[in-house]
Amino acid sequence: MSVGPSYDVVVVGGGPAGLAAATEAATSGLAVALVDERPTLGGQIFKQPGPGFRVADAAALGKDFRRGRALIEAAERSGATVLLRTAVVSMRGTSLVLVEDERESTAVSARHVILAPGAHDRPVAFPGWTLPGVITAGGAQTLVKTQCVLPGKRVVFAGSGPLALAFPAQLVGYGVDVTVVLDAGPSPGRRAVIRLLGAARGNTDLLRAAAGYRLGLLRARVPLRYRRIVVRAEGDGRVEQVVHAAVDAAWRPVVGTEETVAADTLCLGYGFFPSTELLRLAGCAFSYDEDLGGPTVVRDDWLRTSAPSVSAAGDGTGVAGSHVAIDEGRLAALGALLELDAIAPDAAGEQARPILRRLRRREAFRRALRPLHAVGAGIYELATPETTVCRCEGLTRERIEEAVSTTADVNVVKILTRAGMGLCQGRNCQRQIAAMIERRHRLALPDLPVSTPRAPVRPVPIAAVADGTIGDTGLFTLDD
Amino acid sequence: MPVGGWLPLATLTAPLPASTDVVIVGGGLAGCSLAYYLAQHGIETVLLERGELNREASGTNAGSFHFQIALHQLTAMETHNIKDRLLTEVRLHAEAAEVWSMLERELDGPLDIHTTGGLMVAETAEELQLLRDKLLIEEEAGLDMQLLTGRELRDFAPYLAEDLLGASYCAQEGHANPSLAAPLFALRAVDAGAVVRTNAEVTGLAIDPDGGTGRFIVRTAAGTVRASRLVNAAGAWAAALAGQLGLQLPIRAEGLHLNVTEPREHVLGPMVQHIGRRLTLKQSETGTFIIGGGWPARPESAPARYSTIWESLAGNTAIAMRVVPLLADVRIVRTWSGVMAFTNDLQPMVGESARVPGYHSLMATTGFTLSPLMARLLAESMATGRTTLPPTYDVDRAGGHPIPT
Repeated sequence: MSVGPSYDVVVVGGGPAGLAAATEAATSGLAVALVDERPTLGGQIFKQPGPGFRVADAAALGKDFRRGRALIEAAERSGATVLLRTAVVSMRGTSLVLVEDERESTAVSARHVILAPGAHDRPVAFPGWTLPGVITAGGAQTLVKTQCVLPGKRVVFAGSGPLALAFPAQLVGYGVDVTVVLDAGPSPGRRAVIRLLGAARGNTDLLRAAAGYRLGLLRARVPLRYRRIVVRAEGDGRVEQVVHAAVDAAWRPVVGTEETVAADTLCLGYGFFPSTELLRLAGCAFSYDEDLGGPTVVRDDWLRTSAPSVSAAGDGTGVAGSHVAIDEGRLAALGALLELDAIAPDAAGEQARPILRRLRRREAFRRALRPLHAVGAGIYELATPETTVCRCEGLTRERIEEAVSTTADVNVVKILTRAGMGLCQGRNCQRQIAAMIERRHRLALPDLPVSTPRAPVRPVPIAAVADGTIGDTGLFTLDD
Repeated sequence: MPVGGWLPLATLTAPLPASTDVVIVGGGLAGCSLAYYLAQHGIETVLLERGELNREASGTNAGSFHFQIALHQLTAMETHNIKDRLLTEVRLHAEAAEVWSMLERELDGPLDIHTTGGLMVAETAEELQLLRDKLLIEEEAGLDMQLLTGRELRDFAPYLAEDLLGASYCAQEGHANPSLAAPLFALRAVDAGAVVRTNAEVTGLAIDPDGGTGRFIVRTAAGTVRASRLVNAAGAWAAALAGQLGLQLPIRAEGLHLNVTEPREHVLGPMVQHIGRRLTLKQSETGTFIIGGGWPARPESAPARYSTIWESLAGNTAIAMRVVPLLADVRIVRTWSGVMAFTNDLQPMVGESARVPGYHSLMATTGFTLSPLMARLLAESMATGRTTLPPTYDVDRAGGHPIPT
């Protein structure tokens, strides 16, 4: 492990929040590093074409693409050191271990760290969810945006929240035959529309976008069905058909409402989970909000966490979308500047004011939207006893339930079954297991312990991290 | 991993009896196996566990059977009467090998025991000589040993780095599944009549001098129980527990760091250790490589678990890759920590205190390997009054202080 430079600010994550934070901090003259594990900046939403691809007509790729390009170019011009293909695998205080290209590890230190780790798809286990042809919205988006590969020919989209409109509309735009869109939430009735319009100030862009997506689906004659959920994916070796059913308010399937539709691809978009591994490793305090994706890091007005000199911004702190992420990134950078005496308090307050106003309006809009896509508990009950829940270790719901019957501690379940010990490091099964514990022991989720955070937060080859110069630590020495 | 060794929650949370013959404090492998052996002797036993069974060192160690003389025993040797003491220890190792080999049958359940054999490698001429010296003691004590060098080593273990000078091989070494052992003992203890109670942290410990058969008063989060005999099987927390009786034990807690990789095709048969450096390496049945060997974890204040340390990962994996080069491109997926108990002289502390009659200690260093044997020997001595435990395991040895009564 080599010892790298020390920076004023290290920003982790090259999505909208990280880009905005790094730009803000670097243009103020600080030494800033912006770290991202992917080969290009942009994060998930502004994901750029992969190596070897060239954009011939940027205008054709739409407004969001141009918005992303502008953010990326601003960060590149800002003077920040951009470290791509670089994963942060460990963190203690404001010291980080970086691994570049799975080859080399470097220790870097910072005076302040801004974590903008983003989010990943909410995993949902139901019979057939591990069949080839079942793909998450994020996975499908990566295929399309980086490799120009469409996920399939006949696609069923199932999900909830804003994504359930936006993503199928995008797929239709790419020329995919979207057979049906299933939204687990309720159809926006008159009351919801009134509520949304009441919170429209500062959010007309989002309303317009939603209307556009809806129109796109209507034009392509894609049926949009509310209060329906996927209960099974079926097929011989891959998805051939999808079974869906009506759900009640808690997203529990209603008996006798099943329908079957032929498809080669099932795309799932039940929202996102914040990627909290680094925040947990840093020792940050958490609260809980299921609609923001579960565990949400506690922050002050300048987005500083409870860990000294560690701030957090964007979807990794609670999923609220790219507009909020950009503003949060700026705000977190202002907070860092303030802490490092790189800006006068008055000036910081002045610059923060419009950001805070926008964030308040987005928050009001999100609250108005909440009844439409609040996640129902039924989403975590779709697995049958035989359904694989932990796919890394090949564990069925039955096996895990057996362990859950003897303990309410997720760490003990892990030891008893190996659930969560595999390559995904628990990202796929942890929430499902928490729901089992919640039901079995009648506990409220915020009280459930999460599994202990551990480095490395990404799997990393031994050759990249092994260090023969580290001496014998002499644990077993004799006391005199 | 086969399922079925777990006690139902209703059993683990049943009300405590008001009195019993023996109270065991600590639901790790030591406590659970002792509860089983005591119950086999027909002794009335209550086991109290602060949290959940098998949650600390017993469930977080790597499950290896260490029968060969290890680096830490050699380190400790230099100030002691080396050979005699080692011979006693290794004889117990051989006996422990015997106990483990019968255990699945005795407990009528799976422990995932795999007798893979174990290699201990040498890099330098001095280390190779050390292997030769210790081999004589190990053979005399009854272990099935072999020294492999040159071509013979290459043929036997082609995955080892070619420039290693030699390795001692112990055919009895191997591993069991640490997540199964203590819970299965607990299940069989309950079958035989013991009471096993979790979430029963000991909040107060006192001796009633007029208490007769109920002289130990054990107050717990789940109620109070009186016992005529008390066994401290609290592992890393044994000193704190003894402190409640005014006893000072020379036991300290050390956090250990472990690494595990993604699964790969099965290439490594035996466990691999190093005579001069801190390495224990094996490939599990699922194909993952488990890499440890005594690297530290960082203490944290409860309830947080000890942190793993990046430098431990980097240093430990460097030795692993030095010894088994094919590990270079295998990815580390996780690290974890466990808290183990050590005495200052690295010897177990097992038996009854002469100063506080009725107070017993059950603390085996190299705890996973030795706990079932130690528990069996202690149960025998508690049942019969005759002890076969070595005098070096004395509970009252240096560092302890009399309790004020």
